[in-house]
Amino acid sequence: MIRRPSLAVRLDSPRVLGYLLIVPAAIILLGLLAYPLLLGIWLSLTSATIGNPGQFVGLQNYATIFADPIFRGAAWYSVFYTICAEGGKLVLGLSLALLLNQRFRGYRISRALMLLPWVAPTVLSALAWLWLLDPQFSAVSWLLIRLHLIHSNIDFLGHPWSARMSLIVVNIWRGLPYFAIGYLAGLQSISKDLYEAAAIDGADGWQAFRRITWPLLMPITTILVAFSSIFTLTDFQLIWTITHGGPTDATQVFTTLAYQRAISGGQLGEGAAIAVSPIVIMIVLAFFVVRSVREK
Amino acid sequence: MNRKLRIYVPLALYGIFLMLPFVWMLITAFKSDQELSQGLNPFWISHFTFSQFSDLLTQTAYAQWFANTLFVSISATVLSVFVSYITAYAIIRLRFPGSEVVSTAIFLAYIVPPAILFIPLASVIIQLHWFDKLWALVPIYATFLVPFCTWLLIGFLKNIPRELEEAARVDGASNLAILWRIIFPIAVPGLISAAIFSFTLSWNEYLYALVFMSSSVNKTVSVGMTSELIRGDTFQWGQLMAGALIGVLPAILVYFFFVEYYVAGLAGSVKE
Amino acid sequence: MKHPDRRDFLLSSAAGLGAATLAGSLPVAAFAADSPFKPEKGASLQLLRWTAFVKSDETIWDENTKKFTAATGVPVTIQNLTWNDVTPKAALAAQVGSGPDIVMGWNDDPFVYPDKLIDMTDLVDFMGKAHGGWYDNARSYCYDQDVKRWVSFPIGCTGNAVNYRKGWAKEAGFTEFPKDLDGMLKLARGLKKNGHPTGFALGHAVGDANSWTHWILWGFGGKQANPDNSIAINSTETNNALDYARQLYETMIDGVAGWDDSSNNKAFAAGLIGMTMNGISIWYAEKTADPALFPDFANATPPYGPVKTHTISNNFTSAYVFKYSKYPNAAKEYLRFMLDSPQADRWVTEMLGYVTPALKGYSDLPIWTSNPNITPYRDALAGARYDGFNGKPGKAAAQALDEFVLVDMFADVCVNKMAAKDAMRKAEAKLAAIYKRA
Repeated sequence: MIRRPSLAVRLDSPRVLGYLLIVPAAIILLGLLAYPLLLGIWLSLTSATIGNPGQFVGLQNYATIFADPIFRGAAWYSVFYTICAEGGKLVLGLSLALLLNQRFRGYRISRALMLLPWVAPTVLSALAWLWLLDPQFSAVSWLLIRLHLIHSNIDFLGHPWSARMSLIVVNIWRGLPYFAIGYLAGLQSISKDLYEAAAIDGADGWQAFRRITWPLLMPITTILVAFSSIFTLTDFQLIWTITHGGPTDATQVFTTLAYQRAISGGQLGEGAAIAVSPIVIMIVLAFFVVRSVREK
Repeated sequence: MNRKLRIYVPLALYGIFLMLPFVWMLITAFKSDQELSQGLNPFWISHFTFSQFSDLLTQTAYAQWFANTLFVSISATVLSVFVSYITAYAIIRLRFPGSEVVSTAIFLAYIVPPAILFIPLASVIIQLHWFDKLWALVPIYATFLVPFCTWLLIGFLKNIPRELEEAARVDGASNLAILWRIIFPIAVPGLISAAIFSFTLSWNEYLYALVFMSSSVNKTVSVGMTSELIRGDTFQWGQLMAGALIGVLPAILVYFFFVEYYVAGLAGSVKE
Repeated sequence: MKHPDRRDFLLSSAAGLGAATLAGSLPVAAFAADSPFKPEKGASLQLLRWTAFVKSDETIWDENTKKFTAATGVPVTIQNLTWNDVTPKAALAAQVGSGPDIVMGWNDDPFVYPDKLIDMTDLVDFMGKAHGGWYDNARSYCYDQDVKRWVSFPIGCTGNAVNYRKGWAKEAGFTEFPKDLDGMLKLARGLKKNGHPTGFALGHAVGDANSWTHWILWGFGGKQANPDNSIAINSTETNNALDYARQLYETMIDGVAGWDDSSNNKAFAAGLIGMTMNGISIWYAEKTADPALFPDFANATPPYGPVKTHTISNNFTSAYVFKYSKYPNAAKEYLRFMLDSPQADRWVTEMLGYVTPALKGYSDLPIWTSNPNITPYRDALAGARYDGFNGKPGKAAAQALDEFVLVDMFADVCVNKMAAKDAMRKAEAKLAAIYKRA
């Protein structure tokens, strides 16, 4: 006679335990995220305004926004902003990590201090940058003038292109630590033996980097860039605080335009459509992340 | 000497870029309102004063905001790390059917940004009667923390050799026991890593804390400071900077002690 | 209409400051008795208001609130948020049907969701009769023409005036501030020549960029829309306004296109500019920041353009009550109380006229004439137009304001050196899309 397994054993089976373990996450994510998410996507398919559910209009909101030059401008700048910021963070983050991966006096405190930009509350550091980029009071301009590198204050935020680039610099400033720490971890997981072998073969620093370091850092690069891009593409607080989408809509991105249309203007359906429109880009990014995480 | 140059010069440049705003914030926080309005040398203090800090702590409810933010951040971190750990374990170690779908679905979490998501989310919060309850921010924050932490821990757990589990199973340990007694201790660097990430994001959050809390006693640091110290077109810059600096302290202390763990945690999760 | 008892009380209280004991001794209950608004039993209220721009506003408002509670037994909790954060909170409340009872909001906010707000007609009529009637802007910002009723209770505006430095103006040949825009441009040029440029925001500064651009546009006869909401921006008048602005821009300091609402305050206080436009906060701050130099800072009524009448643009604040509120009568009685004498007298006086009340009766308050620099703010509403002029105030005007359509048009011409006709066409297209949607 075969005895049926006890309840405890049955609960412990991979399948049952697996499902049990994901219940807490499922509750949180399904209740507080999936439902509002779907509601948000639904909103983009309706003519909803604040306080008025409107009617189902299919893809009409999307048609409207794609025909709107301000939206196209915001879409373009969102992508440009993300590509430049991610590129900058990648290059600078990696080189900082290479630097910090060495042992020198004060390397520990350096590692901790360099995290500061990422750690400070965004809304407050954005306010600090507002002053640092001020056309009259910028400490940056002041320094550069004292160093005789420029002779009058820089108008960082008063012209479309300088405003666009200034925001990218602030985003790089804020996100650099995240990349640097990530790469630091990645570098430490590369075995020293590989470098020794390369040195024996006569490879110099740059070749070692190109043939060992960089290829082995590809997985973490993919992860860092993919996740960071999602957050950068949907950046809100930094841009809203510093330029509010200006001057002349030059620094509008998806989220600022969506917020402006939905909250200030009350056009919920259209605002939701703007917010959801980068979905294709996000799915592509997610695809890359999943692929690299999948077990080999 | 050459090595020193190759290290300290670039380090100084990075240091200047990353630290300049904080140096400026520090100097600003010790200037009087009068000196600030004159807009003179931004790097020199003519009359050093603690007034910004004392005004901040005595005239505003900064201490309360700080305590609130600390409570929410720590709780959200504990909840998110715990939930992410068991979820990651389930996905990657137990490999039940559908785990692939789950791990892909996780990334869809970030598709609608908070700038818009807060509206439909508000209906849910109201229906649950969670409005203006400070602790409600804890599960709300978990919605954007759990996905990333789960990914992080999946990557980390993936690299832990299966032999450990096999050995434990041979000894008669249940899966649950393995989760807690065998794998958990090894996963600590990854957990700390996830904790630091969660703490930082919770500490910095603004929009949800703004719209879902209404009483003054429930304000967080970011919300409290902007609502009290930005009066129309008059910004209390000195106090804002003082508050920002105090606000950065807990995270820095945490990082200083745990940065080695943080790095090791990430290292473990991306090993090939 | 004069209120003798109020004037006597104020005149006998040392320039209206520190009159706490006298105010407390006036019979509050006497006023409450003839009010038609009886608070519901067991009522309690939640008010969401914008963080007061000056501390005395908050102090007196809170004190008056306490008096209300003492007189009626209705507790009131006040939530203060920085003025730009009130809008998303109120929008959320409208959307989910729950939140504060009363919101003190801005400009066209109530027109974004008028059907969620209670009818304020009775309160508006009552207060208008008691205090000498309302300025026109009250109707423009609180009477919704779609649902055809008063959806909000007008409170007043944070008025705008031109702020300048007397000494430098004299240097440029002006002992008195010019009365028309041509004169102002001459003064501006003189200031710039002497090294004291002007400064008017052209970035997405919610208050400061909208204030001067609207004033100039209307001063030349330009307008956004016609009474039937057809778009009227593309016109000779607008062209002239843009031309003027372009010339004024040349007298400005660098970087105004990146200015936010606090930038002109900083620049003016630091002596970097000689002329700007702002609420009274900019002048008031100098009292404590630089008492020695304070007398040199002056304010003037914004000059008029070719239309030969004042066309000021202000930020209008009003209070609206959501239909989901369980205590609408208590809410109305609270608002009546706060904007009635002597509460409002004290409030306006102690905050030096920060908020210019929408009720004409309060223009008699001695505070307005106690200092010639405060007087221009008394008239801010008398000479004001409303945003969306001359179209129907409502959702479309609200959206056009929030999207900085007019500001960007001016910025395109001044900063981006776009031809006026192209800038007008661009603004016209944007407005057409907005007005069609609404």
